[in-house]
Amino acid sequence: MTLLCLLCLPAFAQEDGDGLSVKVKGFVDTYHAMRVSSPNDWMSSHTRIRGELTLEKDNSGLFASTNIVWNPILESESGFFLREAYLYYTPSEWDIRAGRQIITWGVADALRLTDIISPMDYTEFLAEDYDDIRVPVNALRVRYVQSGWSAEAVVVPVCSWFTLPLNPENPWSVSLPGVNIPYSVYLSGTPDKKLKNLEVGGRFSAYSNGIDFSLCALLTWNKMPVIKKTLLAGPELVCTGEYRRMTMVGGDVSIPFGQFVFRGEVAEYFNEAQDPATGMDVVRKNSTNALAGLDWFGPTEWSAGVQYSHKYVAGNLSGTSVFRNSGMATVRISKDLLRSTLKLSTFAYIDVTNGGVFNRLSADYAVTDTIHAIVGYDLLQADSGMFLMYDKNSEIWVKLKYSF
Amino acid sequence: MKNRIIIAALCALACTSVFAQETGRSIMQKAKDNPDGETRYAQMELTLIKKNGSKRERKLESWAKDEGKDTKKMMFFTYPGDVKGTGFLTWDYDQIGKEDDKWLYLPAMKKTRRISGSSSKTDYFMGTDFTYDDMGSRNIDEDDHKLLRSESRDGHDCWVIESVPKNKREIYSRKVTWIAKDCLKAVRVEFYDKLDALHRVLTVSSINKVQGFWTIQHMEMENVQTGHKTVIEVKNPSYDIKLDANLFTVTKLEKGL
Repeated sequence: MTLLCLLCLPAFAQEDGDGLSVKVKGFVDTYHAMRVSSPNDWMSSHTRIRGELTLEKDNSGLFASTNIVWNPILESESGFFLREAYLYYTPSEWDIRAGRQIITWGVADALRLTDIISPMDYTEFLAEDYDDIRVPVNALRVRYVQSGWSAEAVVVPVCSWFTLPLNPENPWSVSLPGVNIPYSVYLSGTPDKKLKNLEVGGRFSAYSNGIDFSLCALLTWNKMPVIKKTLLAGPELVCTGEYRRMTMVGGDVSIPFGQFVFRGEVAEYFNEAQDPATGMDVVRKNSTNALAGLDWFGPTEWSAGVQYSHKYVAGNLSGTSVFRNSGMATVRISKDLLRSTLKLSTFAYIDVTNGGVFNRLSADYAVTDTIHAIVGYDLLQADSGMFLMYDKNSEIWVKLKYSF
Repeated sequence: MKNRIIIAALCALACTSVFAQETGRSIMQKAKDNPDGETRYAQMELTLIKKNGSKRERKLESWAKDEGKDTKKMMFFTYPGDVKGTGFLTWDYDQIGKEDDKWLYLPAMKKTRRISGSSSKTDYFMGTDFTYDDMGSRNIDEDDHKLLRSESRDGHDCWVIESVPKNKREIYSRKVTWIAKDCLKAVRVEFYDKLDALHRVLTVSSINKVQGFWTIQHMEMENVQTGHKTVIEVKNPSYDIKLDANLFTVTKLEKGL
């Protein structure tokens, strides 16, 4: 780990006489965001050094990734953090990883249907690069690989959970807009770290001319807590995060045709915990989740993608606060200019059910081969739903990134 | 066995002995059939040079394996840092009309995406002056070939062949290729735009034998209309190397370098 602290070293890869390969890479970035509406305060400000180390000999190796962060707005977010650290062994037909790692399933882009093993860190909500907010899990992953297919088994002995900010100094802190009485939120009631609470699953994937598909199943939890709301005398509202077992069975498909790629994903959640109405207990219902997406790889470095994800909750929903049908869409458009040194892009989440939107517009310019300057504007607007608590959080931001 | 180490594939234009009845197509076919091993590996350094002299660099490693007339390729970027580890897996089909299968691995996302197999061929590769089509392999019969003449070019006795794409959506109207008779490699290619004005010129300046296979190790593509050019150096090429049978799979793509 100490090696990763040796910052700003040029990236290198070398092999000693015993065939031990050592690779170091990473980046330094600084990101600052300001609210565009009054009081025009700083929304985020952090400087980070990411170091990634790979030690490899023959078919075995170690990968570790760390962050050193300085965050003057949220002191608790400053410090040294281990991100991933796992051992791997990859003989010809096997790919085995054990340790803290990010596991991704599915073909959806920034939406999670089957991709529910690694949870999300919403410390700054979605106002971070999507890959930065995935939470690694402590897992054993074993893959058996053949030319056109692979089979994968995953065991997570101790689950990881969504990180939701409660610090009132954080502009992205979870709040209950529209609630006019004192309230408190407790999310610490995650299941015990016992083997019986492990997560286990498997995935079969096939890749062939003109089509890819996967089938998967996972015994898991709702890692994003549902909120049980209890009204006390005072009055005061006490909100507690609740976690329940559930089972996911799903699959995905990708089909390229011409300049397009169709992506589809479906997941059935059996006994998924549902947000209860105030004063009610958590109930579990089956839900069907389906996504359809289309990517366009256009000429002159244009690309675009749209997705629509629909959720249907079955059974009697009395005593819950969920919709039977709900939908979320995304739209992505990007264009590379100046010989791929300038990338203009926009990515929007659209809460179809509640009418909310979160749109990230950015311009990424490669000042040199190793330095990128990025500016952006995040638009948040909502009348209800998950984006409502951030309705006043539209921001402009700037990021400088040096990769080594 | 076809020469397809990425850029070498661009120049899979060669010939064997001189016969009076040789046609443009037959020369191109022989060039494509020029032996280059069942498997190949190379490191490449791409230098993008603006008209004012400022430079950008890209580095990558690639592996390729022939399966009949088709080729499977794996490629990873090694520089600059922000794209380091980004990988492409391509199953390249020789059959006209059959779309290639392509996957892109983004290490930051820890995710592989299926990408279009057909749309990007006329786009420029990573801001260079080479198109994706230049970087891949092209079926001989996607163009009509005509042997124009023989002449000397850069110290090589060459055939000069004009190739006109059958698909009018191609970004060039025709290309003219100088093929060295001694090594069966292109030493110069001129690409003409839709208005038949000279657009890009490929110049090959280093052709060496590696493990008995003629190998292009230095080439330069210049866009004569903008003054921008791209230099490619091919380093440590090797042929008929032993490759893992499962190297050209999505799982290996995700494992990375």
